[in-house]
Amino acid sequence: MSEDIAALIADVDEERTLAAVASALDAGTDPLLLVEALRHGMSSVGERFEAREYFLPDLILSADIFNQATALIEPRLEGGSGPSRGGVVIGTVQGDIHDIGKNIVATMLRCSGYDVHDLGVDVPPAAFVGKVKETGAGLVAMSGLLTFAFDSMKETVQAFADAGLRDSVKMMIGGGPVNETVLDYCGADAYGKDPSEAIRLAGALIDAALPLGSQTRSRPT
Amino acid sequence: MKMTKRLFENDTMTAEERLQAVINLQVPDRVPSSPFIYYFAAKYAGITVHELWSERKRYLAAIDKCFDELGPWDAYYPVNPRYPEIYTLIMPMKARWPGIDLPPDSICQLLETEVMKAEDYAWVSEMAGKWGRLSYVGFFLRMIARAWDHIDEGFGAFTYAVPRMVHHLAGWRLEFDSWRRRGVTTLYGFLPEVAFDSFSLARGLMPFVKDCRVRPEEVARAAEDLTEGYYFITRVICALMGIPRAQLFLHRSSNDFLSPKMFNELAFPSLKSLVDRLVAAGIQVVLHCDGNWDLNLEKLRELPAGNCIVEFDGPSNIFLAKEVIGDRMCIMGDVPPDMLCLASVSEVDEYCHRLIEEVGKGGGYIMASGCEVPPNARPENVRAMLGSVTKYGYYGTKPREQSPIPEPHTMPT
Repeated sequence: MSEDIAALIADVDEERTLAAVASALDAGTDPLLLVEALRHGMSSVGERFEAREYFLPDLILSADIFNQATALIEPRLEGGSGPSRGGVVIGTVQGDIHDIGKNIVATMLRCSGYDVHDLGVDVPPAAFVGKVKETGAGLVAMSGLLTFAFDSMKETVQAFADAGLRDSVKMMIGGGPVNETVLDYCGADAYGKDPSEAIRLAGALIDAALPLGSQTRSRPT
Repeated sequence: MKMTKRLFENDTMTAEERLQAVINLQVPDRVPSSPFIYYFAAKYAGITVHELWSERKRYLAAIDKCFDELGPWDAYYPVNPRYPEIYTLIMPMKARWPGIDLPPDSICQLLETEVMKAEDYAWVSEMAGKWGRLSYVGFFLRMIARAWDHIDEGFGAFTYAVPRMVHHLAGWRLEFDSWRRRGVTTLYGFLPEVAFDSFSLARGLMPFVKDCRVRPEEVARAAEDLTEGYYFITRVICALMGIPRAQLFLHRSSNDFLSPKMFNELAFPSLKSLVDRLVAAGIQVVLHCDGNWDLNLEKLRELPAGNCIVEFDGPSNIFLAKEVIGDRMCIMGDVPPDMLCLASVSEVDEYCHRLIEEVGKGGGYIMASGCEVPPNARPENVRAMLGSVTKYGYYGTKPREQSPIPEPHTMPT
């Protein structure tokens, strides 16, 4: 059953995924197993996206299916949706209000099991710092579409250094014009070209389970 | 008015002749340039963005300063709306404007809201059947009323928008004539967002993605049904502006937003219909292709050869594009925004040299920024980009340093 659900959401089949989840719940399947199956399927979606078999619409639609499915499951979960993979504070940096990419990454992170604290758009550096202090999140994800965002990202990284938190927090950036040059400029730890890569990087940065790839860097000293 | 002035002493063509040569895939005397400069001009001239869009003389002075000190360029890239609401007649979205909703020195920011509803696809097709060549007007009058609280629907939108559009176009025409006197041509006379992408902007990305899954035929049909209206308004405005070229914005058709299958089946048919009709009417087309188009390039070969410019903004592989479509279309771009902001002059110079050598090989290339020159670009990098066309861009002659031929001009009033 779980394998079917993983395959169905991986195929972005909304109707059959939701029907399978409802059926499994009625049959008494452990809700945590269903959540895990959905996450497994979402992981396959990410792999197909990286292989350019899937595109942005597939990410958006599969995340929407995931959210609908977990809404069905949540009432049956007594102890939450399983262990968190860690906390992520995410936002579009100060001076920029573009949120499509940020919202997709936030949703994909939630689908992957992270506790996501979304600060929205036009987020000042102090707000990122404050949220990390409040939640203890280990990863900050900054988004920006405008070239103005480069300076805001740099100021946010500096704000964490000024607060004495830079060594305890990983920071990644993303958005249309972001690349290696921008990463060097703002002093974050990694950048992601697309939502799927952001998820992979989050795993590498938080879990340290994967070797850091070519798009991560040592923290500046 | 025929253009006669040459921009540099070594030029053997006027800017218009040069632009025509590259569009026709012929070898010009040198690579032409056409930078998309708007917000950058405000910062460079020391005025706010609010002053840039609300005070026309200041806009003109700011652009002149860029041209005189960082240029010249061959083709003026007009994007300056005289009224914020005019913007909505091109991109049907709610927006925040500097000096209105944002601090005066911010840049305009577009909001992802549902200006258009799912049921509007059926309305578009029905309206287009009734309004025909005026369907562009019908569609955008509904959208502008939804995007701005102070504009009423129907006749109220018409009486509000049309006089302002006429005023805006009159200003454009004066500007274009002024540039022509200076030996600079204008890239296009009108710049609509194509219908399919307009739907994506007006619906918001998330709802639009679902539309393409739930009601794909309805979306594609509505875009196709608007072709007559797009064709008519584009042809009329290009004629009024005296520029037989139109820019078609394609903000949402790249592989970043659509699969190649969706592009081929849903977006491309209405795009091809429009381009074919415009070209048949003698209007050349600039496709403003934001995002990554690598997997769509082959499909673009179906558009008429020797009549289109394809403008890239950085994410597409412009060198691959030269291989795939370079024998059919002129390529424009793509000095990336991050490079203009953060790189050194020598890095910009090196990249522009490569663009000219590889993409400009045999003609068919226009030097330009990747989409807009960012407001925080380094002026010396913009100068290096524009200067590269005389440093490296002459065909059949050795590169040499030259100064532009100075000539005072009169600003339109």
